[in-house]
Amino acid sequence: MAAPRVAPGRVRRRLTVAFVSYLTVRAAWFDESLAQGTVDARYQLVLARQFLPLDEEHTAGLLASFEGSGRHVVLVADAGTAASHPAFATAPGPTLRAEVAAGRLAFQRVSTSDGSRLLVVGGRIPGSAAELYVMHAEDRIYADLDQLRAVLVAGSALVVLLAALIGHVLARRTLSPVGRAGAAARAVAEGLLATRLPVGARDEFGAWAESFNRMAEALQAKIAALSRAQARERRFTADVAHELRTPVTALVAAASMVGAHLDELPTAVRRPAELLVTDVVRLRRLVDELMEISRLDAGREDVTAQPVEVGALVDAILGSRGWSDRVAVTGTAPLVVTDPRRLERVLANVVANAVEHGGRDVQVVIAGTDQAVTVRVIDRGPGIPAAHLPHLFDRFYKADPARGGAGSGLGLAIARENARLLGADIKVRSEPDLGTEFRITVPVAHPLHSGDATAKAGADGDGQHHPSPGGPP
Amino acid sequence: MTGVDGHVLLVEDDASIREIASLGLAQAGLRVSTAADGRAALASWRARPVQLIILDVMLPGLDGLEVCREIRKTSQVPILMVTARTDTIDVVVGLECGADDYLRKPFDLPELIARVRALLRRSTAPVTDTVLSVGRLEVDPGRFTACKDGHELTLTATEFRLLVELARHPGRVFTREVLLERVWSYPHLGDSRLVDVAVQRLRAKVEDDPTQPHLIRTVRGAGYKLTA
Repeated sequence: MAAPRVAPGRVRRRLTVAFVSYLTVRAAWFDESLAQGTVDARYQLVLARQFLPLDEEHTAGLLASFEGSGRHVVLVADAGTAASHPAFATAPGPTLRAEVAAGRLAFQRVSTSDGSRLLVVGGRIPGSAAELYVMHAEDRIYADLDQLRAVLVAGSALVVLLAALIGHVLARRTLSPVGRAGAAARAVAEGLLATRLPVGARDEFGAWAESFNRMAEALQAKIAALSRAQARERRFTADVAHELRTPVTALVAAASMVGAHLDELPTAVRRPAELLVTDVVRLRRLVDELMEISRLDAGREDVTAQPVEVGALVDAILGSRGWSDRVAVTGTAPLVVTDPRRLERVLANVVANAVEHGGRDVQVVIAGTDQAVTVRVIDRGPGIPAAHLPHLFDRFYKADPARGGAGSGLGLAIARENARLLGADIKVRSEPDLGTEFRITVPVAHPLHSGDATAKAGADGDGQHHPSPGGPP
Repeated sequence: MTGVDGHVLLVEDDASIREIASLGLAQAGLRVSTAADGRAALASWRARPVQLIILDVMLPGLDGLEVCREIRKTSQVPILMVTARTDTIDVVVGLECGADDYLRKPFDLPELIARVRALLRRSTAPVTDTVLSVGRLEVDPGRFTACKDGHELTLTATEFRLLVELARHPGRVFTREVLLERVWSYPHLGDSRLVDVAVQRLRAKVEDDPTQPHLIRTVRGAGYKLTA
């Protein structure tokens, strides 16, 4: 789960609010202090007027009077600068002095050498050129502001922390159902259709989990129904093929007798009889292949592995089917350990397809490494349009529905199923007008199956091995 | 289509197959009796033994496997089993019941006749007249007998032919293909389980302990051999 985070914008906003309120408070406090200072300075200036003219005696009296009232002042007159306390003598800066000299009431904030903060408000004593500067200590304001700032910073930090904490908790509470939902969706995608989500709280997630569960249930029911339908369909295929066997057996036997005596038939029925024989052969092939595909569907086909010489197997296939003059074989390959009968079904069906659809020049190219043997079946036929390639191994799929052909439409499907049993792979490439290439890759060593006769026989207590099978002693 | 004289019992419940197959077998020069179910087959066999039985596995009442077991109790007559079932396991069960060979429906008539002839040849024609002696075993192809320690063994024609083939070259390894060709007359890619099942049956009869075979040994990945 991702780490919970509070959106950065929200923290910034909170900090900004805190900072702005601090500034506002600060400005208000300073304004108030200044207002008071100004009012006080005006009043003090009027009072100072009582001490005019400012001779030495009056000046001392003025300073003493202010000191007595708890204020420090700096008096700048023709006689010089006099301060109620020497530390303040330099407090009024030149800018302030210039303003005051111009006859205005002005102020300045300064800090003294001992660290105190002062508001200095100055003006001319009415009726004279003397300037009076009144010192107001603002240390309290600064101290209060410092305190306020500290409180605000701490508060903000606390708020941020709290926000993070709450965010974390909320994110956890929000995201953990999301995480679970993600895991559940993946589980369903991987085929664990029984996956359900716990429906907890009556919130959006509870409702969502309920919908998810309903979807998973519907999916499970649908797939169960589909696989039942598929099982029914396969059962039906197997039953049909089975029921056809007996009549087809009689037909095949009868047809082979008729076929042997075609010459003795009257001319009027000779051709129909010939067609009958041919079609019975086709029918037989179809029933045989239906039987084979339903055996493969039932998954009860066993694999008997033994060393097989692929080149010899190909020669035998071509020889027994009368294709030797139509198919050229090149290349050699090492021995493979596989089921020769199944490999024969794969190779024979692929070659049959090439012979049937690929024109006269069919080439079989055998090659091999220590890992795998490849058999390429190449024809220079019309090729197969790309749109048909993905369906080529489907049952009863014909690239050209108009062209009947002698094939049952099951040959390549059977080839693929058998290849799967051997751990072999069939790939097809085709270029329209140039031809088609089927590439069959057979692993050199097939893991021995449980139903394997070699493994069974080897386990009967006979540990002797012989390097030269079939050779002289 | 002559030359092989033999009397065949055809057990098949489907009337069409029964008729056309007996017609074909008759044209091939064989004498044919027929039976439509298992009980009729046993009755016919007991009344008049034949040289070979063609036995459909799926029969009403008593099925082909039971008929096969029943006949094997008293006779080593060659039995060709015909099966319509999809499961290959049926074939193995049939062979283990004592059938010599099998044929799947639908079959060609020439195929049936070829299988029948191969079986008949196996049970009649001697491969060689020389008595073969390997260790405790003595095989006399001319008299069609095999003995172990002087006691005669009861072997079917297939088991006998298999033993003769192995005994002609003791110690030599025979691949399943070679044995299929020589004993069953399969030219190419027959079912090697025929060999495996027959070897098991033969072991049950000749070995002291069939689970620890010492005479007929398996050469893993290659085939079988007979040792002295």
